[in-house]
Amino acid sequence: MKKNLALILALCMIFTLVACGGSKTTAPAATQAPTAAPAEAPAAAPAEPAAEKVTISLWTYPIGKWTDEATVKGFIADFNAIYPDIIVNVEYLDYTNGDDKVNTAIEGGNAPDVVMEGPERLIANWGAKGLMLDLADMVPAGTYAGVLGSCTSANGAVYELPVCMTAHCMAINKDVFEEAGALQYIDLENHTWTTEDFFKAVQAVYDAGYPYVGTIYCGGQGGDQGTRALVTNLHGGTYANTEHTQYTYASEVNAKALSELCAQDGITFDPSIVASDEIQNFVNGTFQMAFCWNATQEVNNADALGFDAFPMAFPAEDGVASLQGGIWGYGIFDNKDEARAEAAKTFLRYLTEDDAVYAKVVEATNFQPVREVAGVYEGNELMAEYALMNPMMGDYYQITKGWTTARTEWWNMLQRVGESDGTVETILNEMQAAQDAANAAAAAE
Amino acid sequence: MPSNTQAKRLISRRLVMQENVAAYLFLLPFLLFFVGFVLYPMFMCVYTSFFDATMGREDIFVGFRNYKELFSDPVFWVALKNTAIIVVVSVPITCAFSLWVASAISRMPVAATSAFRCIFYLPVVTGSVAVTMVWKWMFNNYYGIFNYLGQSAGLIDKPINWLGDPKYALGCIILILLTTSVGQPIVLYVSALDNVDKSLVEAAEVDGATPLQAFWKVKWPQMMPTTLYILVITTINSFQCFALIQLLTSGGPRNSTMTIMYYIYYNAFKLYRYGYGNAMGVILAIIIAILSAVQFRLGQEK
Repeated sequence: MKKNLALILALCMIFTLVACGGSKTTAPAATQAPTAAPAEAPAAAPAEPAAEKVTISLWTYPIGKWTDEATVKGFIADFNAIYPDIIVNVEYLDYTNGDDKVNTAIEGGNAPDVVMEGPERLIANWGAKGLMLDLADMVPAGTYAGVLGSCTSANGAVYELPVCMTAHCMAINKDVFEEAGALQYIDLENHTWTTEDFFKAVQAVYDAGYPYVGTIYCGGQGGDQGTRALVTNLHGGTYANTEHTQYTYASEVNAKALSELCAQDGITFDPSIVASDEIQNFVNGTFQMAFCWNATQEVNNADALGFDAFPMAFPAEDGVASLQGGIWGYGIFDNKDEARAEAAKTFLRYLTEDDAVYAKVVEATNFQPVREVAGVYEGNELMAEYALMNPMMGDYYQITKGWTTARTEWWNMLQRVGESDGTVETILNEMQAAQDAANAAAAAE
Repeated sequence: MPSNTQAKRLISRRLVMQENVAAYLFLLPFLLFFVGFVLYPMFMCVYTSFFDATMGREDIFVGFRNYKELFSDPVFWVALKNTAIIVVVSVPITCAFSLWVASAISRMPVAATSAFRCIFYLPVVTGSVAVTMVWKWMFNNYYGIFNYLGQSAGLIDKPINWLGDPKYALGCIILILLTTSVGQPIVLYVSALDNVDKSLVEAAEVDGATPLQAFWKVKWPQMMPTTLYILVITTINSFQCFALIQLLTSGGPRNSTMTIMYYIYYNAFKLYRYGYGNAMGVILAIIIAILSAVQFRLGQEK
């Protein structure tokens, strides 16, 4: 009796497994049913056949309020009021594990339909690997030529439909600078300063009893645009050539900049933190400067900021900085499903073509629009302040090949420089080694 | 017509057959998972290690090139050295500390034993991210409690960048690893000590054995299977130390906390070098297998 019972139980388990495993094979039959129906429908009823529902997935990184469920669901609800047959499922990614999640999905053949990110970080790389659809025909008229150029890959394809942009800047604790008498070194109207004045200001704040004025974070690649911009602007260096084929940061001027930073009181190299830690330390008053800053940081940290966070361009010899831009937008993965691809394009057209919708989309990012659009950030003084940085936007060198390796080499190089004797010669050697590895990766791609 | 004996044999065979079938059917679901999630990935790992595999293009067969590159990669050797240090330091300390704690708390009243078991097991059941974040805060260069206490007590003049200084970073990782590793061995040792045959211990004591002699000559041999198990799982866990590194140091500063597991992840998921990452995975698996075999062998000899 017991054995029979055991046998029945075992068979039940097997049937359960078979039933579970069979879902994949039964699914196509179920999806095929609606397509078979129209063949009979005209004879039975002259009415239009019900449109087939298409489900697409949107995976978004935390770009402004695009991490806020209420905001994103609001856009989708408005979209569904016009397109009820396109269902959009959302997945919210973070910068710690998001990349791994997407890459695992790609390798498993389950890539999302739409992803929202920056071209230099991910989308251009995926496009180069043939994983993305070319969206060149979807770019709205009036998109700034510079932005479009930055999103255009070497083969002429536009894998990212640009949505918003920012000029990455830095910030100072204005209250502390005022207390230390360091505001005299700053052009408060234009938010700029010269290299000489920058070092004088840092010294003044340090002398006023603030040991951590600014920190060269180098625990990872997060927010490395800040350290790159600081180093290359101090004495007019470059990071890559204008053709975006090679990295050029191993230069005397950049080595001199790093050497001066090594020697400066109040500036430390910290391999235990990345930009997010730096921002946290700036917001809580530990650091008096943040090298990784932009409008969205100020908006996101508004409640925690107990002082006036004053946005600044990076210091340059002539006071005119070349800021690094960030461009975010949508990419569509080529999942070999025309219906889903078309639905994804419909969704993106809805978000980017109509001025009223687009303005809301941009405002949700806390960044600037990539084309002229009426009504965006109307009466918003904070955004007007940060818009001052836009004319200083420099070369979008992030699309240089070998970018992943170049980023890794950069922060590892900073770690070594931080522990070195700080001489220009030593630093130049370290820079050269990192640059050679980055260029080798660029050549291999 | 079959005789009575033949009929009995036939029934007996059928019963055995039925039992076997039932047993295999019960095993089948697990077997499917084992094949799908263990054997197949293992095979794919070895297979892919012979290819230049990356995202978005066909894999290219390269034979043993990944392995050759591996052995000439200085970062791999650094990672191997760091991994070895973690294993060599953390495994004996984990075992010895667990045994000591278990010996101490197993003599306490039942309620106290349970309470201590819970306390030591807490880091195991708490999410590794939460535990790591708390440690990260404690090690913080600017406002961490270790620097605060050190400076308050006059032990250090200025803050130490615990996770940012190659001199200390690996030690900090090992310390955190220890706190998250001792919970399970303590619970296992407490159970093992409870299961020691009390009559043998009493007999030894009657024969004049000291408490230390009773422990080493009577209790310890009976706990060998538990010790062996703890050694093996602690070794494997130490080799596979990954989350701590990813969350705290990303292998830095200057590769001072780079481990093989993190280097595999870095190559596979950051640089998309799947073949190279898999080759490292194969080497790591071989090392763990050899060490585990040695531990089993030594355990059996004891």
